[in-house]
Amino acid sequence: MKFTRTLVAVGMAAALTTPAALNAAELRVGFSADALTLDPANHRNRETETVIRNMFDGIVTRDADMNVVPQLAESWTAVDSTTYEFKLRAGVTFHDGSPLMAADIKFSIDRLTKENAMGGQTSPRQSLLGPVTDVEVVDDLTFRIKLESPWPILPAMLPFQEMVSKAHVESVGDAAVADNVNGTGPFKLVEWRKGQSVIMERYDGYYGGSTDIAPADKACVDRVIFQVIPENASRVAALLAGEVHIIDKLPSHNVAQVEANPDTKVMAVNGTRTSYIALNNQSGPFADIRVRHALAHALDRQLVVDKILNGNASLTNGILSPDAFGKNENLPAYEYDVEKAKALLAEAGFPDGLDVTLDVDGANKEIAEAIAAVMAKAGFRIGVVVGEVSTLRTRFRTKGEPIDGQMWLTSWGNGSLDPVGIFVPTHRTNDRGNSSGYANAEVDALLDAANAETDRSKRAQMYAEAEAIVNRDLPKVYLWVAQDLYGVSTKVSGWRPSSDSRINLHDACVN
Amino acid sequence: MSFGKFIERLAQLIPVLFGISLIVFVMTLLTPGDPVEIMLGDQHVTEELEQALRRDMGLDLPPHERFFKFLGNALQGDFGLSFYHRQPVVDVIASRLPATIELSLVALLFALTVAIPLGVLAAVKKNSLLDRIATVTSLFGVSLPGFWFGILLILFFSVKLRWLPVSGNAGFSSEVEPITHLLLIDSLLRGRLDAFWDALRHIILPAITLGLPIASILMRVTRASMLDVLDRDYITFAEAKGLSKSKILVKHALKNALIPTVTVAALQTGALLGGNMVVETVFGWPGLGRLVVESIFVRNYPLIQAAVLLYAVTYVVLNFVADILYTVLNPKVRL
Repeated sequence: MKFTRTLVAVGMAAALTTPAALNAAELRVGFSADALTLDPANHRNRETETVIRNMFDGIVTRDADMNVVPQLAESWTAVDSTTYEFKLRAGVTFHDGSPLMAADIKFSIDRLTKENAMGGQTSPRQSLLGPVTDVEVVDDLTFRIKLESPWPILPAMLPFQEMVSKAHVESVGDAAVADNVNGTGPFKLVEWRKGQSVIMERYDGYYGGSTDIAPADKACVDRVIFQVIPENASRVAALLAGEVHIIDKLPSHNVAQVEANPDTKVMAVNGTRTSYIALNNQSGPFADIRVRHALAHALDRQLVVDKILNGNASLTNGILSPDAFGKNENLPAYEYDVEKAKALLAEAGFPDGLDVTLDVDGANKEIAEAIAAVMAKAGFRIGVVVGEVSTLRTRFRTKGEPIDGQMWLTSWGNGSLDPVGIFVPTHRTNDRGNSSGYANAEVDALLDAANAETDRSKRAQMYAEAEAIVNRDLPKVYLWVAQDLYGVSTKVSGWRPSSDSRINLHDACVN
Repeated sequence: MSFGKFIERLAQLIPVLFGISLIVFVMTLLTPGDPVEIMLGDQHVTEELEQALRRDMGLDLPPHERFFKFLGNALQGDFGLSFYHRQPVVDVIASRLPATIELSLVALLFALTVAIPLGVLAAVKKNSLLDRIATVTSLFGVSLPGFWFGILLILFFSVKLRWLPVSGNAGFSSEVEPITHLLLIDSLLRGRLDAFWDALRHIILPAITLGLPIASILMRVTRASMLDVLDRDYITFAEAKGLSKSKILVKHALKNALIPTVTVAALQTGALLGGNMVVETVFGWPGLGRLVVESIFVRNYPLIQAAVLLYAVTYVVLNFVADILYTVLNPKVRL
């Protein structure tokens, strides 16, 4: 009894001292991971980039519809197939007030692309700018990026890189850039409490950002806090409790709860990850194309999307997302047809059905079980085995070595939405994401040619052709592109999620 | 204990640490998963660039060379660079360790404050309603999974009542210049009551979640040893002398009954480090446990190696402390 009284007393005292309301000009993001570093050149991590992007701007960026638009650059032209010339905007300053010059751009890109350029280390982001050989400073506001070979996706890959101040990096030293920020972005660093939060405040000398993304002005809020909350349930709880305004990676089973709360809403955007079932094309039953086709006909994808993903995904009949460059819009779908699936199975020598194993990681277990249940009707007796994702990668992405497994429910995608980063690694013979052991010389030739083709429409045509071949060969059963879900407070305006999973808070306001 | 004995105990650490290093290294070798592959994510990468990254991470060397290189460096206090943070592992761990220590200490304090009085009461009023409730509750305390119990606490105290924060260990405005790096202590030392209160509000739920299983175990141990002591002749003798009941309980019974409790508490503190991994994830606590779990998933070998070594040292030291406490509380025992 006494204990209860004490508890109530403590509770009331706590309630009295709870900050009455969040500061009107402070925006808090409940984020699933901490930044690994605040050095834009020294990581290979999407979440880190999301945080960093609010403090550093790039030469170019993307708008919420994923179009590449100028940011620090005013304009660019391709001088020839291996040289691009960029003009910088005048009047851009770093957080310390010093002006941005072409020399800073050269320094930043050299740091990303040259061996041992980061105090003896090589940037892990080097491969994202693969063919870049050099940057030539023409004058204070003009520079040229030189390429080893034609690389039409340079503008699409530049939004991933943020620019640093040469003088700043040289004065603090490369190692200290990890927690010393001097960028050109809308917010400057206040404090990084490692493992817990990254706190930023508005940079009043901001030039306004990309002119293609209105409003081009200083940031709306005074302060931004990325609060690290790795556990899904806790992140949702923090949103519902009003402690944070935006949360990422809202689980689809929490959608109804967030919608039902009057102070919060759900915002969705097409993600960049294509989900598929990788099939072992090298050996076992799925080496037979008829069995692969049978499997595709045995699955009612829309049913799984509706029941398990609450409708938050769009079907795709190939590896490329509907938003991707070069997407073939006319790929035929493998319609849900149990009889056809059975007939194909019988034709392949399995009239009594087939016992197979579907590997999956813990996060997608529910989906795999639903798929297995649906497919049972057509004679696929599927055992779902849950494994750890890094282990599954090693078993299936073997670069030509024998694959250890039959089916793997997985996904692939990145924010470039360009086939080079998505189609090529997953389907080119022995490439690093080819989890089916798929090998087709015709597809390889098309992908290689497209890689170097500078004419956009020809390039798109090549990818469309390759996707049609793959759709016939069906090394994987292509499923859907799931939406990325965010829980957002109704107090937030001027912000919407973007496909590359960035959370750019430049235009966001809190009422 | 003589100084010689002390040195002897310290020397025993050396084979333990070598053994642990070897086991962890072999386990990382046997576990499938390639840190380079994981790090490169879903991107197109040429073979040369992949090899360059492998070289940079020191993974191009054969395993035995990697192990001896690790040992040689570790002896000089260099545990290498964390693959992901690209900073010295020692720095990364040091930035997260204080939060873990603070949470563990508060959880232990909570466990002791709850367990000892309850255990004593349950023993004194054996078979009473209170005893039964305490015994059954302690069973729940041990059995409830931390992630589930923690989320229940959050839903009730943070979402429904809005009394306590969901995650983190301090609010934005309660920044305190570090002295010990333990927020509760630093804020008091700096005379910042607001920051102290803020830190306290943040630590309550995770400390309860982490401390509950230990409180349950300690309650049972205290109860059992108290029952044992209360049956002893010297207690009967003290009663016969006409000493007051409270004096008998505190001075004669409890002092002796606490010996096993203290030993178990010292050993359970090691278990707190393990429980931290779950609790830190649920409460977004910026501690080491969460960092280690995340590092295991991405095969961040240097960090795993160093953290497991740190855990091992902590365990050995805590065992040592338990032994010493035992001799202090029970002079009959000699090390």
